[in-house]
Amino acid sequence: MNGTAVRNEFAKMRHLHLGLLIALLGVIMLGIGLFSSLGSPDFDRATQDSWNTLIGGTASGITLAAPLLLAAIASRQVDIEHQGNGWLMSATSGITPGGLCRAKFLALGLLVAGATVVTSGLLAGAGLLLGITAPFPAGRWIGFTAALLAVNLVLIALHTLIAARVENQLVGIGIGLLGTILALFGTAVPAWISHLTPWGYYALATASGYVDGVLVAVTPAYLSIAALCVIAGVAFLLLTRQFDRKEA
Amino acid sequence: MNAIGAELVKLKRSLSWAVVVLLPITLVVSGSVMTLIDGRPLEDGWHTLWMRSIVFYGLFPLAVGIAILASLIWRAEHRGSNWNALMSGPTSSLRIVLAKATVIGMLAAIMQVLAVATTIVLGKLVFQLPGFLPGEYLIAAVVIIVACFPVAVLQSWLSMLMRSFAAPVAVAFVGAGISAFLLVLKLTPAIFISPYATVSRATQLGTSTFADTGEVTGPVVALIIGAALILSAVLTTANTAILERGDTRT
Repeated sequence: MNGTAVRNEFAKMRHLHLGLLIALLGVIMLGIGLFSSLGSPDFDRATQDSWNTLIGGTASGITLAAPLLLAAIASRQVDIEHQGNGWLMSATSGITPGGLCRAKFLALGLLVAGATVVTSGLLAGAGLLLGITAPFPAGRWIGFTAALLAVNLVLIALHTLIAARVENQLVGIGIGLLGTILALFGTAVPAWISHLTPWGYYALATASGYVDGVLVAVTPAYLSIAALCVIAGVAFLLLTRQFDRKEA
Repeated sequence: MNAIGAELVKLKRSLSWAVVVLLPITLVVSGSVMTLIDGRPLEDGWHTLWMRSIVFYGLFPLAVGIAILASLIWRAEHRGSNWNALMSGPTSSLRIVLAKATVIGMLAAIMQVLAVATTIVLGKLVFQLPGFLPGEYLIAAVVIIVACFPVAVLQSWLSMLMRSFAAPVAVAFVGAGISAFLLVLKLTPAIFISPYATVSRATQLGTSTFADTGEVTGPVVALIIGAALILSAVLTTANTAILERGDTRT
């Protein structure tokens, strides 16, 4: 895999409307984040509750939208190789199937990372524009954004692998839909259950939550998310190397 | 009938059963699991159970499920030279459109039957509720089945136009999300514009959620069924016209 392979992936995106799908992810995150926080009785511009509701709303938006949209994004980018037998064509031009998967992950990951960071910045900006006078919790906000981004990247890697391994895209999309339900569950179940699936980590990434009915600041489970990233990274590298040894 | 039979044959080994069976059961059971985890009682028995089981299911998972089925139905046509076989066959565009939408609608109807059956089993066996699911919800279930049809036609159309499996599903997800937002704002006329809003509104019948009054009355049922029929007719006409102007692909 090299820079040319990643640039090729961007070229392939031209007619796939992936930019639109990734933009939608940001718009939903922004829309639900603002709508749910402004509609919350806890939104008090003078206290940290305002930032906490904004963080909670953003987490709700991404929990709802990301699992299925990320599955659709990865499926779109990988399915073109099944349809045109791009695996064989790339292999004959020196890019192995595993290398192609890694290039797809890098290309999609860059876009998803950009959308996540920009949306997070817009939400922070919107909070200031809405007249929040409480000090901006910069450290917590950056940590929350990084944690969400990490979970998004893990899911992109997972769905890239599924879409490449199983030609019938029903499987990846079905898992994405199931992931949406598991992600929504994650906010209601004990933390140890959230650790069991990658979608549960959205609940662990949040930086605010209700404890005994009171909205409080929470530290994202950085250690758990870091462990998820390490495990997912190693698994992604091993499995994509295994793809290289398969007959095209 | 031959066209419908042909569509059913094409669905063999397509894994469509996984969507038809697993999606409604998973969604209905998940509503109950949340109830058990939260420790919230079913304050109003069957009414509360129906609300927790079906309303969320109708917000977007049902539309996404129908979208997946539509993608599966059209998947075969986009492979190899099947599109050209479809274009050069003797079956008229209207029959193709109706056959595809009917099969998707039939599968959506089976999903609804399974959702109702799962709700009844949970109510009787897990929550040991007295009596039976109120008849008004059986009426609501029939209305949901009718309201699934315009979604089936729309998704069939999108899957006809797009070779991608995932893109029409993403459209359904976003469309259902926007429609749910319109219903949150109590903009009920949206049911005459968006099929996703029609089916979402149908799942809210008798639940007092969003703009629903909590009662399944004749006028409300007629309004939803009317919207479903109008949208189905308009979308079928448009879909047929587009397919009629389609051509073979090289």
